[in-house]
Amino acid sequence: MQFWTRIMTASLLAAALGAAPDGHAADKVRVGMLKPNVVTVIYWIAVKTGAFEKNGLEVEEHPFPSGQSVAGVEQMLRGNLDFYIGAGGEVARANSQSMQAGKPPPLAMMPAGDKGGTNFMMSNKLQGKTFDDLKSQQLRIGISSPSSTHLILFRSFLKDKNLTTNDLKWQFITVQGENMVPALLGGQLDGFMHDALTATIALQAKAGFLFMSAHRGDMGETAQNLPNTMITISRGYTAAHPDITRRFVKAIFDASDAYDKAPVSEQVKMIAEWTHRDPAVVEQMLQIFDPRVPRSDKPAQAWWQLDGTAMKARGEILPQMKFDDVFDLSYLKQ
Amino acid sequence: MSSSLDTASISAGAAGTPIAEPAFSDYARAKRRRVRWRRIFRGGVGTLVVLLLWEWMSRAFDLELILPRPLAVLRNVVSTLMLTNEPWLYGPNIYVHLEHSFLRAMIGFGLAAMIAIPLGLVLGRLATLREFTLPVIKALYPVPGIAWIPIAILWFGLTDKAVVFVVFTTTFFPLFFNTEAGARLINPVVLNAGRCFGARGPVLFFRVILPATVPYIITGLRISIGTAWRMIVAGEMLAAQDGIGFMLMESRFQFRAVDLMTAMILVSIVGYLTEKLIVDTIEKRTIEKWEVQPG
Repeated sequence: MQFWTRIMTASLLAAALGAAPDGHAADKVRVGMLKPNVVTVIYWIAVKTGAFEKNGLEVEEHPFPSGQSVAGVEQMLRGNLDFYIGAGGEVARANSQSMQAGKPPPLAMMPAGDKGGTNFMMSNKLQGKTFDDLKSQQLRIGISSPSSTHLILFRSFLKDKNLTTNDLKWQFITVQGENMVPALLGGQLDGFMHDALTATIALQAKAGFLFMSAHRGDMGETAQNLPNTMITISRGYTAAHPDITRRFVKAIFDASDAYDKAPVSEQVKMIAEWTHRDPAVVEQMLQIFDPRVPRSDKPAQAWWQLDGTAMKARGEILPQMKFDDVFDLSYLKQ
Repeated sequence: MSSSLDTASISAGAAGTPIAEPAFSDYARAKRRRVRWRRIFRGGVGTLVVLLLWEWMSRAFDLELILPRPLAVLRNVVSTLMLTNEPWLYGPNIYVHLEHSFLRAMIGFGLAAMIAIPLGLVLGRLATLREFTLPVIKALYPVPGIAWIPIAILWFGLTDKAVVFVVFTTTFFPLFFNTEAGARLINPVVLNAGRCFGARGPVLFFRVILPATVPYIITGLRISIGTAWRMIVAGEMLAAQDGIGFMLMESRFQFRAVDLMTAMILVSIVGYLTEKLIVDTIEKRTIEKWEVQPG
C-alpha cells in the first residue's frame, strides 16, 4: 500500500511539475512592422543582438509593405497584434475617430528613433534649388501614402510660412518607396519625400539633390528631433500585460544601446541585412540616419508640436485631443 | 365610363357573364400594380432587415470604428453631396472627384466600345479572320483587370491615361465576346431571307446583321459599364490623385470608415445611373425601335 501511495505521489508530483509554467519560458508577442523599411531597423537590431530573448520574449513577426502603416494599425485595433513598429500618424487618426465616437483612445505610441528622418529629394533637371525658386512651379512629388508622415511634416513646415499644400502648384502622387528613384530618374516625378535610404539611393544614382532634410535642420530645429519610427501599443493589452510591455520596450532600448556600441561595419551589416541594400549605400546613408531610441520625451513632444498641430489644423484629428491621448511614455522610465 | 359599360355589354360571354376587354385590362392593370407594390414592399423589407442587422452589428460588437451606423453613413452621404462635410480631407469637392472618375470610366468604356463592337461584328462574320485573331484575344482575356495596372503605370506613368487604359482593357472583352457571338450565331434563315429580298453588302449589314446582333451588344454594354466602374475604383486607388477611387483609398488612410462607405454608396449610385442613362437609352433606340427579338 505504502509502495502504491509513493508511486501515486511521485506521479502526481511529476504531472504537476510538467503542467506548471516554466519560469524561463519566453512570452510570445505578435509584432507588426514595415518590412523591408529602414525606419523599422531597430526591430532587426533587437533580433540580431538577442535583445528580445534576453528580455524573455519570443517574437512572432508580422511584416507589412512600405507605405502600408495603416494596415498594421488596423491589425492593432482588431487585436491581431500586440506591438507595431511603424509611422505615427495613423495612430493619432485612429484614436481621434474612437474619441469622436465617445470612446477612449484605444492605442498609444512612443518614439523609437530615426530622428529627423524626413528627406525631400528634387530632380536635378529642375530650374531652381530653393523653396522660393520651386514653390510656384508645377511639380509632381512622390509620397509613400496619402497619410505619409513626411507629408505631415512638410505641411507643418508650410504652416510656419502661412502656406498650405493647396497654395503650391505641386501634385502629391502616391508611389511605393522602391519606385521613387526610378520614377525620379524616368521623369515621372519631379521630387519625392521619403526615408534616408531612398534619398541616399537617389543621391548615388545622381537622380536628384537633397532639397530638404529634417536631420540637417532644413525644416526647423524641432523637426530635427522628430522621430520617424514609433512603437504602437494597445492600451488594453498593456493594461493586461504591463510586464511584457515593459520588457518589450526594454528590448528595444537594449537594441539601441547595442547599436550604439557596435562598430560602424557591424551597424552597416545589420541595416543592409534588413533593407536588402548595398552596404556602400547604407554606409553613406548613416550621415543622415540614426536608428537609436531616445530615452527622453523630447522626440514625442516634437512630434506633438509639429505633426500633431498640423493634423489638428487640417482637421485630421480632433482639436481637443491632448498629448496623452496619443502618447504613453510611462515605459520610457526604466 | 359609359363607353366601357357599352363595350362590356357588347362582348358578353356565352354564359351571360360580362368578360369584357376593359374589365380584363382593369384586372391586368390592378394585378400589375399589386405585383409592383409587392415588389416594392419585399425590397423595402429586405433593405430594412439589412439596415437593422447592420445597426445591430455596429452596436453589439462595438464596431463603430470600422462599421459606422447606417444613419451616420446616410447623414454623411447627404452632407458630402451638400458640400457641408467638415473636415474635408480629400482635396477637391465630391463633384470634381465624381466628374473625373466618370470621364475616365466613359473614355475607357467608349474606346472599348468603338473597337470591340466593330471587331466583334467583323470576326463574328468572317471565319477565316476569326481563326487568326481569336486565339490571341482569348489568351489575353483571362488576365485580371488589376494585373494591367502595373504595366499601365509603366507605359503611361501615373496619369489619367493609365487608368483609362485599365478600364479599356477590362471593358473590351465582355463587349467583344458578346458582339462576336451575336454576329456569329445569326440564324442563317434570317440572312437568307434578307438576301431573298435583295439585301447585299451594307444593306444586309445594316438591315439584318446589325439588328440581329444588337441584343448581344446591349448585354455586352451592360456588363462592360459595370466593369468600368469596378475598374475605375481599382485603378484610381493605385494610379490617380483624384476621383472616387482615390477618395476611397485616402479615407482608409484617414481611418474614416464613414467617408469610405459614403464613397462606396456614391459609386453605386453613379454606376447605376450611368447604366440606366446610357444602356437603356441605346436599348430604347435600337431593340425597341427596331422591334428586335433576341435569338
